[in-house]
Amino acid sequence: MRIAVAFKAVPDAQDVQVAGDRTLDFSKAKLTISEYDKNALELGAQLADEAVAITVGGKDIDNSKLKKDVMARGMGHLYMAADDALADLDAAATAAALVDVLAKAGDVDAVICGDGSADNYLQQVDVQLAEKLGWPVVTAACKVEVNGSTAVVTRALEDCTEVVEVELPAVISVTPDVAEPRIPGMKDILAAGKKPMDVAGADNAPAAALTTVECLAPEQVARKQEIVDAADDGAIEKLAAAVKAAL
Amino acid sequence: MDFNLTDEQQMLLESVDEFCERYFTEDVVKKMYEDHGMPQEIAEAYRDAGFGLMGIPEEYGGIPMDRVTIGLMIERLYQKSGCMHILYQNSLSMFDIMEFGTEAQKQEAMDHYMETGWPIASLSISEPGAGSDNRSMTTVAKKQADGTYKLSGQKTWVTMGEKLPYTIVVAKDEDPSHDNGNMSLWFVKMDTPGVSTAPLHKIGQQCIPFCEVYLDDVVLTEDQRMGEPGKGFMMLMKNFEVERSYIVAEQVGLAQAALEDAAKYANQRIAFGKPITRLQMIQELLADMEIKVQNTRNMLYKTLWMMDNDQPVQLESAMLKRYGCKACWEVADSALQIYAGLGYTTEVRVGRLWADMRGNMFGGGTHEVMAYIAGRQVAKKYAE
Repeated sequence: MRIAVAFKAVPDAQDVQVAGDRTLDFSKAKLTISEYDKNALELGAQLADEAVAITVGGKDIDNSKLKKDVMARGMGHLYMAADDALADLDAAATAAALVDVLAKAGDVDAVICGDGSADNYLQQVDVQLAEKLGWPVVTAACKVEVNGSTAVVTRALEDCTEVVEVELPAVISVTPDVAEPRIPGMKDILAAGKKPMDVAGADNAPAAALTTVECLAPEQVARKQEIVDAADDGAIEKLAAAVKAAL
Repeated sequence: MDFNLTDEQQMLLESVDEFCERYFTEDVVKKMYEDHGMPQEIAEAYRDAGFGLMGIPEEYGGIPMDRVTIGLMIERLYQKSGCMHILYQNSLSMFDIMEFGTEAQKQEAMDHYMETGWPIASLSISEPGAGSDNRSMTTVAKKQADGTYKLSGQKTWVTMGEKLPYTIVVAKDEDPSHDNGNMSLWFVKMDTPGVSTAPLHKIGQQCIPFCEVYLDDVVLTEDQRMGEPGKGFMMLMKNFEVERSYIVAEQVGLAQAALEDAAKYANQRIAFGKPITRLQMIQELLADMEIKVQNTRNMLYKTLWMMDNDQPVQLESAMLKRYGCKACWEVADSALQIYAGLGYTTEVRVGRLWADMRGNMFGGGTHEVMAYIAGRQVAKKYAE
């Protein structure tokens, strides 16, 4: 069983700074694996005989530490398209670029995606990738079992779970609780840099379907500083009413 | 000078962060101090991540590693867990076994570690009448007519002595008198007839209990000896230099935790109508705390780097232990001062860090002995 896991390199959220005009400053933020993709990587590593990682992005994702970090999480091979023509793509363009990378990665039985990217969280790349590949897609997978040429997937829906069976190859996107990401051990870390990594430029420059008009942090709201005295009659009701009014 | 960390070092530290966040929650740590131990799952996860294998030779399943990287790992492990657990401390006894043990002892130690996640042996060095003054040790191993040895004496402050299956005992050969400097190391199973223990109660570091170990005519065979006869203390001393440095790595990690707690608290605590970080006396405390942490860290990395480059560190390791353990404890003391009344409660962890770190001012060698070692080296360094 050969599985490709798609991951996104995103700026580390804790180092993103908000400027006075509410614009976001990414200059101090190092690139890291999108948090939800760590679960996808772990599931891929657990299910596959050979798990390969695929990704696309700007030239800066060709970063030695980032690449080793992915390889230390049970991946056997990395296929990366790093080109400024692929920076800040929207979901449709990302899916198109991943198709090109996947063609280089060779045959796989499945592509696993995370729940959504830690920066945009559009939850669109999985379905658009499947559409472009002509494969079925199963989203919200919280458990995946492979039986020969099919996968039995448990989906976590709002108020119930659903079990579906899907023919492979397929695209499967997973919820964060599908598999707890491993803590890369010292041996994994030392071996990571020695694993094969194919990094190339863009084959095509996929056209954007969306244009970002602006990206601003929410406006700061001053604290209301309404204090309810617990000794007063109906204090809890007053507090609840204040919270409801604020929402 | 390049102060950058390699990719692998950065990834190692990130893994240590993840490990600590996952396992050392404050509730778990509190329970460790109440129960005087550590959950089994933490020992196993630490082993599985390979942190406990760093520095052990490859042929025994270990991961050879430079000392700077091991020091970085220990520092971060104690900073992020925020408590004086056993994880790194007992790797020190593993290093001794790997350095001086017989093939059979080394293999048994590794098998035990891989099976349980716990080191195989504690270290029995100090005695009620012999700590820094190790020549005054009276524990002695005497050869018997049948070729066996009889070990007698009393050891104290034996960390994890009641929990681990073996202890490494340093004992004089044949004659317990002060003049006899010949000592050997023995690998002693705790359930051997004649070995008994009594618990001792600490004012800090309660999750790594220590005990007294009584040795009453314990019969030993030659294959239990570790290393060359008569050279036991000299062998231990060889490892003391790196062990002292790693104790300082623990201490600077804990000091960093105390400093961060205190600075965060000072930013929030309002007194005289403003956060106390705007009060000059608090600013002075914070500035001096940061200076002490950075100084200790710099001395630590330099000492470890020198060892990695085969340079002698008799002076540097003694200075590091003397300066670093005290300066870092002073950081915890200042942190407690910033917290004031709240710091003196068990609601926050700063008091625990303070008590834990006090123990490192004599564990692994007192300041006074460090001054003795360093002072002689300084005189020698500048002799005409």
